[in-house]
Amino acid sequence: MAHDTEFHVHHDSPEAIGRRERLGVRLLIVADGAFLFGMIFSWFYLRNLNVNQAWLPKGVHTFSTASGWVAASGLIVAALAHRLGEYKRELRNMTSIVVLIALLVGGYLQWHQMAHMPFIAQDDAGRPFYNGAYASNWVLVAGANMFHYLVGAFVALGLVLRGYRTKIDPTLEVWRQRTAGAWFTWIAIAGVLCALATSFK
Amino acid sequence: MTTLSHAPASSRPIPNPEKSLITKLHMGTGMVVGIIFCWGTYFAMKAGRDMTDTHNVNKVLLMSMFAWSVGFLVGIGAFIGPFRWLIGKDLTAEEQLFLAGDGQGIKRYFRYCTDHKVVGIQYLVGVMAMLGVGGTMAMMIRTNLATPGSHFVSPNVYNSLVGLHGITMIVAMIIVATGPFGNYIMPIMIGAADMAFPRLNALSWWVLFTAIPVLCSAWFLGGIPTGWTAYAPLSDQAGPGMNAFLATIIIFAVSTAVAGANITTTVVAMRAKGMKWNRVPIFVIGATISVALAIPAFPTFMVAMIQTAMDRTIATGFYDANVGGSGWLYANLFWIMGHPEVYVILIPGVAALMEIAPVFVRKPLFSYNAAIAGFAGIAGLSILVWAHHMYMSGWMPSLNGPFMVTTEFISVPTGLLFLVLVGTMWRGKPWMKLPMLSVYAFIWDFLIGGITGIYLSDVPADNYLHGSMYVTAHFHYTLMGAALTGAIGGLAYWFPKMTGRMLNERGGYISFWFVQIGFNVLFLGMFIAGSEGQPRRVADYAHLFAHANLISTMGAYSVGIGMLTLLWAIVHSWRSGKIAPMNPWGAKTLEWTVPYPVPLVNFDTPPVVTSDPYGYGRSAK
Amino acid sequence: MSDHDHEVMPPTPGARVATFLKRKDVSQTFMLWIFFTAVFVVLGLWAYPKWMPLVLSKQMQANEDIMIWFTVISAPIAGVVLSIATKSFLNMHRGDTPPEDGIAIRTNGPVVIVWTATSVLFCIVAIVWGLVALNTESIAAATDAPKSLIVDVTGSQWAWSFYYPAQNIHTHTMNIPVDQPVTFNIVSDDVNHSFWPVQLGVKVDANRLVTTVAHADPSATGPLDIKCAELCGLYHAYMETSGAVQTPADFASWVSSIQATGGVEQ
Repeated sequence: MAHDTEFHVHHDSPEAIGRRERLGVRLLIVADGAFLFGMIFSWFYLRNLNVNQAWLPKGVHTFSTASGWVAASGLIVAALAHRLGEYKRELRNMTSIVVLIALLVGGYLQWHQMAHMPFIAQDDAGRPFYNGAYASNWVLVAGANMFHYLVGAFVALGLVLRGYRTKIDPTLEVWRQRTAGAWFTWIAIAGVLCALATSFK
Repeated sequence: MTTLSHAPASSRPIPNPEKSLITKLHMGTGMVVGIIFCWGTYFAMKAGRDMTDTHNVNKVLLMSMFAWSVGFLVGIGAFIGPFRWLIGKDLTAEEQLFLAGDGQGIKRYFRYCTDHKVVGIQYLVGVMAMLGVGGTMAMMIRTNLATPGSHFVSPNVYNSLVGLHGITMIVAMIIVATGPFGNYIMPIMIGAADMAFPRLNALSWWVLFTAIPVLCSAWFLGGIPTGWTAYAPLSDQAGPGMNAFLATIIIFAVSTAVAGANITTTVVAMRAKGMKWNRVPIFVIGATISVALAIPAFPTFMVAMIQTAMDRTIATGFYDANVGGSGWLYANLFWIMGHPEVYVILIPGVAALMEIAPVFVRKPLFSYNAAIAGFAGIAGLSILVWAHHMYMSGWMPSLNGPFMVTTEFISVPTGLLFLVLVGTMWRGKPWMKLPMLSVYAFIWDFLIGGITGIYLSDVPADNYLHGSMYVTAHFHYTLMGAALTGAIGGLAYWFPKMTGRMLNERGGYISFWFVQIGFNVLFLGMFIAGSEGQPRRVADYAHLFAHANLISTMGAYSVGIGMLTLLWAIVHSWRSGKIAPMNPWGAKTLEWTVPYPVPLVNFDTPPVVTSDPYGYGRSAK
Repeated sequence: MSDHDHEVMPPTPGARVATFLKRKDVSQTFMLWIFFTAVFVVLGLWAYPKWMPLVLSKQMQANEDIMIWFTVISAPIAGVVLSIATKSFLNMHRGDTPPEDGIAIRTNGPVVIVWTATSVLFCIVAIVWGLVALNTESIAAATDAPKSLIVDVTGSQWAWSFYYPAQNIHTHTMNIPVDQPVTFNIVSDDVNHSFWPVQLGVKVDANRLVTTVAHADPSATGPLDIKCAELCGLYHAYMETSGAVQTPADFASWVSSIQATGGVEQ
């Protein structure tokens, strides 16, 4: 192919770019929502089916109902802090840090739960397995929460670091804050839905 | 994200940001880093693990495959943009222009290039390669089935052929229209300078690219015994090749979500001035509905794949009945994706033909609104019909009636698609060029596919037909006869814009007749075998089915000859075909108003649209 | 489809229809419609009874009826599509320049409405037919249950085995008596299989640790092919066995011959 010899510049306003990015993120949230739907469907489907009476086999320990809310707490605090920053712009640099810390602490709590699962049993060969459909589903839900924490922490870290940069288009940055807000709100909702689902043992 | 737009208007920057890392990365560096990541992960994880435990084998293999994918993306520079965003040093206009491949000639096809036209060509070549591989496997399947008791391949290889043919073709068919035409043509059709998120566009292609070697590795890991549906618990039991399947689907689901969000955003937010929704070309509408449907559909497949992967690696029991799992869970998750997915495949192909028909009949598209209602109706109903694949699974017989109702009703919006096409043809004098021939082939093939779908959706008839060759013939009529025919028509139509040359007509005609006649012989034979009671996915069969199978195999070879002819025609025309004029078909959509090669930002001055593109014909009254 | 034209329009709807019907292209399309409809009707009436196997149960008869009559019912609709497409195909223009423009018919409200209504009607016929058949089947399954012969079917990689609890026999082929309802309780030892006694026209998956049920009313004697219709791994293609629908006397002697060898078929 020949080279393009002319380059014409299109002026997309930061406003237009910002709206576009938010729409893109919202569509990805729809995809993530379908994933969440799949997990919650699995939870209740296997729970109601209770094949071989093995949703919770006899003697298997579960997490307490509160543990789902502990796992979601970081997501909820982060979303609220980000909202506050949207509302009071002068607090933004502070709230960004709160968001980041909340996500890191929440992520650690989720990690801690995953490292201390009470329902792992050993088969005849001494190899560990997840005993019961409750156990299988729990670890998947926890994994999805963990994924949300990681992506959220990446975005939050970016917002903190970018908050100290001056060479950034301020209008576009306001839009990016809103777009990030869509994500933070969504992962908090997802965390709440997961906590609700996991409270049905 | 397109800060191309922030480049100073007066002086054009020279895209040579020498200090930037992005100038040094390409497909080669991607491969090197990918292979290092892959082997590094493999050896690191293998060390100290008990590899007699299949869970550990699966763990190591699966993580190595993901490491390859991530490593490749690191090596080609996919993460530079996100990293620079993270540290607050956004890519400069100069760097963005470099990423767009400005002035890099052929090299840009091997880089992380953000130009939608480059991505479109990458998809086109990728799709052709996948169809070639999938088609070769189809020929091997039919060769094995030519006679009963044939031992052309072993049962293990046969089962792998069936599964890998299936998944290769499904992936290829999902992207066959929205990949090449959705990326190359569609932004120009709506008068946009590029996609909404050019970097995500490159990401969607290169992520998909990393899935190709992963899928191929299935052959070296013992194949997959499960068919493309990968039903559990057979997939839990399957050997190491299954990991390749799981990794492929998970990687592909990421690619589709990204591409879907990108195409949808582009169409919603970047249409030319004056292009109201009722002036958008029908192909754009169809492609957008298709990818928008894929966004919520594919993640449930990803859930099913991740659950299978967890069963196989960390010994969860989603599909193990001993610990409370159920194959019905898999089947539900799979088909909640699986049925929308066939319409994700079908709709862009039909939409491409609807774009073609008015141009060659020289009449307006008949009832644009009916076409949109057809697409939207199909998309809407498609998420409510999944369990018709599970009538005979016994999971919930009481729901068979309701699912039969929703499924049968899909024939109403589908009927509208026929109405639009025959309405456009009515009283017309069609210009019989290759693209138009595809419209006729589509009508015949999709009619057969549609009517046989009506029997299959009826529970009592499905009692007999489910799991038989009849089903295989039915869905090939819809996916290959309808969607692939549409995509080939689209290729013949847009080839001049994408390559600057006309597609060789004689080669095209020869190919068309070999493919279409062969196709009908092949799958009519399979309808007979299915009616006689031959199950699908069998490596061998009783003498009763011998005639029908021999007929099918002869048809298959004819398709093979036709496809090779098409390949020759494409390669030959691309290299030395007749130079195409700017608008060879006299069409009225925007892509025919730009020259070849298409400028980097497509239009010298952003176009303004004042009517829909179907203003053909003498006045009616 | 449309009588819009640049020609002078007849004043009344009736006259417009009359003019429409007199047009040459319309009469040619009509002839093509008759041709295609007839082809599909004949195909449905001839092909399925020829291709489909012996009908040994009421269920199989219902399947075959649907295949035949759905083809016949859909024939006129398929005929419309194919006749218009064929007529336009025969009217083709060849050459390197496009033909002159046709008539600008943007849409035609009545046609869209009639078309949609027809397809809805067709759908309703298919749905009602299916629901009635389904309902008949489930009522039969419920009322026949007390007098049914019970067969416990087990699928395992890659063979079928059968247990007749009332007769207390284990077999690897499956014979059943004619004119007595039969209920299959199906389960799998390992992965999913699908139990398919072909000539009985019923099918249901075998799942591990979950029992699924199928019901059939054998109505004629003859040989049975029993296959697996769900890909179940390496030797899926060979997971088949045989059997028969027998007269009650033949069935009784088959049962007693197995009971004589310790209740296990040799």
